[in-house]
Amino acid sequence: MIDPVIDVATILITSVSILMIAYLMAISSKDLIRLLISLELMFASVFLALLPLFSIESLINESLGIAVITVFTSSSELLVLIATIVKLDKLKEDITTSSIFAGGEGL
Amino acid sequence: MALEVYTLIVLSALAVIFAIGSLLSKDNFYSALYMSLTLVAVSGIYALVNLQEIFILITFIFVGAIGIVTVSLAAVYRFKPSLQLSKLWIIPSAITVVVLSYVYFTKVPVVVSAGKLSFHLDFGYVLLFSALTSLVVLLMLSVLSISRGGSGD
Repeated sequence: MIDPVIDVATILITSVSILMIAYLMAISSKDLIRLLISLELMFASVFLALLPLFSIESLINESLGIAVITVFTSSSELLVLIATIVKLDKLKEDITTSSIFAGGEGL
Repeated sequence: MALEVYTLIVLSALAVIFAIGSLLSKDNFYSALYMSLTLVAVSGIYALVNLQEIFILITFIFVGAIGIVTVSLAAVYRFKPSLQLSKLWIIPSAITVVVLSYVYFTKVPVVVSAGKLSFHLDFGYVLLFSALTSLVVLLMLSVLSISRGGSGD
């Protein structure tokens, strides 16, 4: 089996860069679709940050378990947000962030 | 430098460029497409270090399922909102770039070598997959119930 050796600094710097871009998108978003996209970018950054875990040989199977749980939980969270967007559109016919009130008081 | 290092740099650069494209794109549809491409680049890094299991998980679940739903939603709500970004965010962004550059150029050479993953379908993994799949199915049923106007109980 090929055993590639790559630099961990490049991976972590890429991860932090994507996280910063996702934060900027989240705070500048005016509608919920942008918020959903920014969340998915944040999860992309989390997946990259997980990668160095696999270099510890004694923890490699646990790392796989952590990665599987991360993929399932993050996709569930995104699924809930997608359902929320559809529900909000049904109720208010508007998915801009300005239409959301604190604690859902507007609903 | 080895071929893997070049490939890693190219994939990382592509991931960051696609993420910037997703941020700067004014159309939600193209923003979602760029986001999917970012995830493909990230999963490509996993494939580069011989972690095909994670590559398949990210590609199938995130790009294949969630990404496609996001792209479809973005195609329906195809707004072109202007960015409401404060110029004050240049300061923390610049600080982050300086810190990252310092870390990169004074780094201790730590390497990732992930070619020894032994994936066995033993009882523990089957149990984990079954439990997670059941939870996701339950969640989807609850979401369907809420979307149809029920209480979600």
